[in-house]
Amino acid sequence: MYTSSPLFLLVLRKNMDYMLAHHLIDPRLVVELGYTIIVVSLCFMIFFKTREIYDLTAHKGIKYFRITFLFFGLAYFFRFLSLLFILMKITFDIYLSSHIFKIFSMAFVGYFSTMAILSLTYSTIWKKLQIKHPLLLFNAIAILISCIAFISMPHSLLILSQAVLLSFTIIMAAYRYNKSRKTSQLFILYILFFLFWIVNLFILGPKRFLPIEIQIAFQIVSIVVIRVIYHKVTKWTK
Amino acid sequence: MDKIRRRRDRLEVVYDILKIIRQHHNSIKPTPLLRYSNLSSQSFSEYLSELLEKGFVKEITDEKGKKFLTLTDKGFRYLEKYKLILGFIEEFEL
Repeated sequence: MYTSSPLFLLVLRKNMDYMLAHHLIDPRLVVELGYTIIVVSLCFMIFFKTREIYDLTAHKGIKYFRITFLFFGLAYFFRFLSLLFILMKITFDIYLSSHIFKIFSMAFVGYFSTMAILSLTYSTIWKKLQIKHPLLLFNAIAILISCIAFISMPHSLLILSQAVLLSFTIIMAAYRYNKSRKTSQLFILYILFFLFWIVNLFILGPKRFLPIEIQIAFQIVSIVVIRVIYHKVTKWTK
Repeated sequence: MDKIRRRRDRLEVVYDILKIIRQHHNSIKPTPLLRYSNLSSQSFSEYLSELLEKGFVKEITDEKGKKFLTLTDKGFRYLEKYKLILGFIEEFEL
């Protein structure tokens, strides 16, 4: 009630304007917040929109497809938290606590993004590659990678391990499409989606900030890619 | 010819069974359903158990004690959404 009152909103806006004007809030944080809200919302909407067709079919491919977006949504959320702690350190010089939080959020980023990459890959190849307990295996790999993210600072090892996973995905998909002799628009979308993720991780590293204009342009393209996937989902889940 | 010989996948078999029930005014005995569904009796009982367990179909008994199978709301929804489900699977190559 109180937070929605016009006076409160006015004071909040004045404070935000003041902090932005005096560089107390990094403009990157505002950009990242907007970007995260859009991406996380799209990912969660894909997850919820596909619930009915999964409930009706219990189809393995649909199962792994939809959990991909749940995990990616969570990975993007924790990525934002990591970035928030980095920028808080820069802005407010709160070193110790932000450092600890950053390490923990990076571990979650590592876990959720690995689960997402593996799930999306498996959703397209599950008919060819039968694994007895896929989720168990994916969890083991994801926990290993999140441990790497936890102990390795900076996050070069996390980026490297995700890049290896990405290469594995590309090889598997290329092998599949080579056999079926057709170029898939979806394959290109997935590759772009993964590449954007790797670049998003790269941004989290020390002193690797891109110029804000390039970052915004890059994030817009990335939103377009997820929006296209969302559009394809809504076409079939009316 | 290939199309005729090809093996139906699980989703298609479920669709065929539910469609047969609907075509028979939503009430059919298990034996004719087995005949129309073109399945072996073992596969048919597996599918039927799954459909009953997941609530796509329910068993009703009339006054004479004869058992009939009817579709539930979930069964009707499956039939309604089947084309969309196939489209989704094809679109995302799942």
